[in-house]
Amino acid sequence: MYRTDARSRNFSVLGRAPLSRRRLLVGSLALPLTLLGCSRRRSSGQQGVDLFIESDGDFLAFRPDELTCRTGALVHLTFHHAGKFLSARHNWVLVYPDQMEAVDKDAEKTEGVISTDDPRVLAVVPMCDKGETMMTEFIAPATADYPFFCSTPGHAVDMNGILHVTE
Amino acid sequence: MKRTRKILAILASIAFVLALAGPILAAQLKSPDDVKTALRLLVQVSNDFKRQITNKNFARVPHEYMEYTEAADALRTAIKNEPADFKNRVETRLKAAVAAYQKISDMSSSATDPDKLMAEHAKAVTAMNAVFDLFPADFRPDPNLPPPGRGRGGQKSQ
Repeated sequence: MYRTDARSRNFSVLGRAPLSRRRLLVGSLALPLTLLGCSRRRSSGQQGVDLFIESDGDFLAFRPDELTCRTGALVHLTFHHAGKFLSARHNWVLVYPDQMEAVDKDAEKTEGVISTDDPRVLAVVPMCDKGETMMTEFIAPATADYPFFCSTPGHAVDMNGILHVTE
Repeated sequence: MKRTRKILAILASIAFVLALAGPILAAQLKSPDDVKTALRLLVQVSNDFKRQITNKNFARVPHEYMEYTEAADALRTAIKNEPADFKNRVETRLKAAVAAYQKISDMSSSATDPDKLMAEHAKAVTAMNAVFDLFPADFRPDPNLPPPGRGRGGQKSQ
């Protein structure tokens, strides 16, 4: 009952009466404080990490070829195809340890397209043409070294790296 | 007799100087980094050809040929400001190399025997090396070097 009264009162104030200085000050502080509160709550429970990786120009290599994050972190990974000359497409596929070869072999049958439902796969950035940038998000798994690679047929043998997930 | 020897000695000296001058002139390329990149790309794509043939992934071979022509175009762009004589010599040999890789691509559409394609690939590599011979030795990529990536199983190559 009280809540209903209060809500209706607020509505009335905002809708009809002119705003006092005190209310204007409280109102202007409320939004940033609320947003700050929200972000604090999120970061205390789950640390966000931004990672960037790109192809070594047109060469079959990642730059860098090693990444690190903490277990449980919400990872925002951005991949950039830095090629200029070749029409070869690249992507970024993160898999569980010792699964790279098998996933890569299967990807030969699908022109490198990886199913996100594949239980061996942790995260996938879709295929990029030269100059394109794509992003993926995932929760960093348990502490270990996880291989990543490009699933374009024939690329993984050269174009691969390691994500170190630490405590 | 003495005069003939003298003429031969002069001719030999001129030949020696010209032989030395070739690479020195080439070393003064206008865009050395672009040339190095283009030559490395030619080797990279050539190695991809080999890999697709070895894996009997013949359907990918025409795509590799397309990339080879793109790498060849990268080399043409890299030497566009060089003297016409040098560009012509590169172009003649580059065309021969591209034609050799096209032959592999054409054969791959009906290929079932990787050995036959590998034999053609060996000829194509010889044609490609003839292009590299026009550039200084330190510009030529070594196709036998391990790839720049970490290699299969996450072992970083040295």
